[in-house]
Amino acid sequence: MSESRARLPGERVFALALVGLSAFLLWQAWSIAGFTSITSAGAYPMVAAAVMLVCALSVVRSTWDSAAQPAQSNESHWGHFLRSILPGVLVQFVVAIALYMGLMERAGFIVSSYLFLVASMAILGSRRWVLNLWVSALSLALVYAVFQTVFSVVLPTGTWWQGVLK
Amino acid sequence: MSEALSYFFMSWVDLKLLGLIAGGTFCGIYIGAIPGLSVTMAVSILISFTFKWDMNAALAVISGIFLGGVYGGSRSSILLNIPGAPSAIATGLDGYPLAKRGEAGAAIGLTTVMSVFGGFIGIGALALAAPAVSELALKFAPRDYLMLAIWGILLVGSLAGGSLAKGIFAGALGVIIGSVGLDPMTAEPRFTFGSLQLTAGISYVAAMIGFFGVAEVLVQLHELHLKAVKQNVSRIVPPWALVRRYLPLATRTSAIGTVVGALPGAGGDIAALMAYDHAKRSVKEPSAPFGQGAYEGLVAPESANNAAVGGAYIPMLTLGIPGDAVTAVIIGAMYIHGLKPGPMLMIETPHLFWFQVGALVLANCFLLVFGLTGIRIFAKIVETPKPILLPLILLLSAVGAYAINNNPVDVYWMLGFGVAGYFLKMYGYPVGPVILGMILGPLMDKSYRQAMISVEGNVGAFVGEFFTSPLSAIILAALAFTVFSQTPIYKRWRERKA
Repeated sequence: MSESRARLPGERVFALALVGLSAFLLWQAWSIAGFTSITSAGAYPMVAAAVMLVCALSVVRSTWDSAAQPAQSNESHWGHFLRSILPGVLVQFVVAIALYMGLMERAGFIVSSYLFLVASMAILGSRRWVLNLWVSALSLALVYAVFQTVFSVVLPTGTWWQGVLK
Repeated sequence: MSEALSYFFMSWVDLKLLGLIAGGTFCGIYIGAIPGLSVTMAVSILISFTFKWDMNAALAVISGIFLGGVYGGSRSSILLNIPGAPSAIATGLDGYPLAKRGEAGAAIGLTTVMSVFGGFIGIGALALAAPAVSELALKFAPRDYLMLAIWGILLVGSLAGGSLAKGIFAGALGVIIGSVGLDPMTAEPRFTFGSLQLTAGISYVAAMIGFFGVAEVLVQLHELHLKAVKQNVSRIVPPWALVRRYLPLATRTSAIGTVVGALPGAGGDIAALMAYDHAKRSVKEPSAPFGQGAYEGLVAPESANNAAVGGAYIPMLTLGIPGDAVTAVIIGAMYIHGLKPGPMLMIETPHLFWFQVGALVLANCFLLVFGLTGIRIFAKIVETPKPILLPLILLLSAVGAYAINNNPVDVYWMLGFGVAGYFLKMYGYPVGPVILGMILGPLMDKSYRQAMISVEGNVGAFVGEFFTSPLSAIILAALAFTVFSQTPIYKRWRERKA
């Protein structure tokens, strides 16, 4: 029941983390109704969590046995992990998304989305600034028009501007 | 009969529905063709916007996107050697060598015609088989539904991920996420951690957008600088002699596609690979060696993956069991609109079934029109650089998640599931079963408890019924075979046999 691919950096830790998650969920499922009845509210989640735990342990075993993906010469394990799994561009992009979401309610959909589009295009390596600004503006205008009118989605206007726009 | 026909043609005579199907098919082709955009992603995002639409309009646009998207993946496979969708992986094996030989136009033209041909075979099978399957499904007991749901998750997990343990883990994780909230029978809180917000459960649309949209965008960041090789496109409409020559092969592979698509859990990607394998085995004198630009290598996967669309609707509409990840998402859409896919759907709302069949036929006709035109604009769009494309997808995902309840919390859920999905994908866990588990989880929970209550909690009687009922025994055998086929014993035996 195993797959034949090289083990990626961090894969063992991830597999162990999933064992921990499964055990935690099994305990949580048990605490719903214990073993009071075979049809209790917790019985079915307990089965699902137990299945998760068994599979996670099986994955840990197969992951431990598999050969590691070779790192580049003079590359540390941490460096290999950062390059293969968590490159800087990905971290920056996720941070940009999180900031965008935090800003959306406050600054409103249009302002936050425009800032997000321009910033993330730059993060992802698009250096044609004028094009980035235009594409962001045009696509945002299109998205806003389509979703407000066709799909009737009420997009956030922003708490910061409420006093200003009144 | 006349009633069925009137429902069938409903979308053909209503200008709004006609436009939605045309628009859906057109967008589907481009969504499917752009590497990084998947049909599942598009349908997941779209569902959140169609809450306020009537069901027919939502189904019409989804049908177009589904059919168009499965086909669209072939274009970037042929022109850029990057499959736009998993179902187009086999297409690139011979499509790209053909393009390099300067025959991209003929390859796209033949692909279009054969995709449409396969699509009609699949839809025909849907129209003929679904009523019969639906009648059979009325005989299903709760335990049969329980096993069918488990089988579906197992198939998606084992076929898509490579590791059965990872597939089952993902499915069980989905089941747990789906059970967050109040128990529907006893109203006891499950996995709510004292949070009032969690008692309402987790929106599976936010999870879908996270797992299929955000996670895919994050994975695509590893291929930011992949350069596409541009091809010149010649005449696109294929000569009739070429089409006629490959019709017998297309008929066989369409049949394969329909059957594979109808299996719970097996979608267009598996159908295409099986059809390609069939062509390699059965065609003795291909137009060129397979892998070096054989037209047979295009015809087989393309007719099969579009035939699988019709096939995938069969278990979805008759049993409420998704054929693949896209149909899992479509089932989610149907639930949102107050419908319950399953055997009663055909009895209570037969108009919906015939409307769906009519919409698919129409979408398939539009596929022929759009597939044979607009190739120059197409080439420009699919070459959009990823640094520009990916933020736009993220923007649409965020709007989609927000639109579910006009609640920013759903957007945070989307991001959380996106990041989790990214790590799962990177370490080889399929995310399709997570969504399947979320959607099928409540059905499994209900079926399990109904089956157990029907035998008054007697575990022996519960287990015994799996063997004494012929229908249950057949499904159990299929389920057991799925697990057994992933064991080293079976794999070694297959290798020895080959």
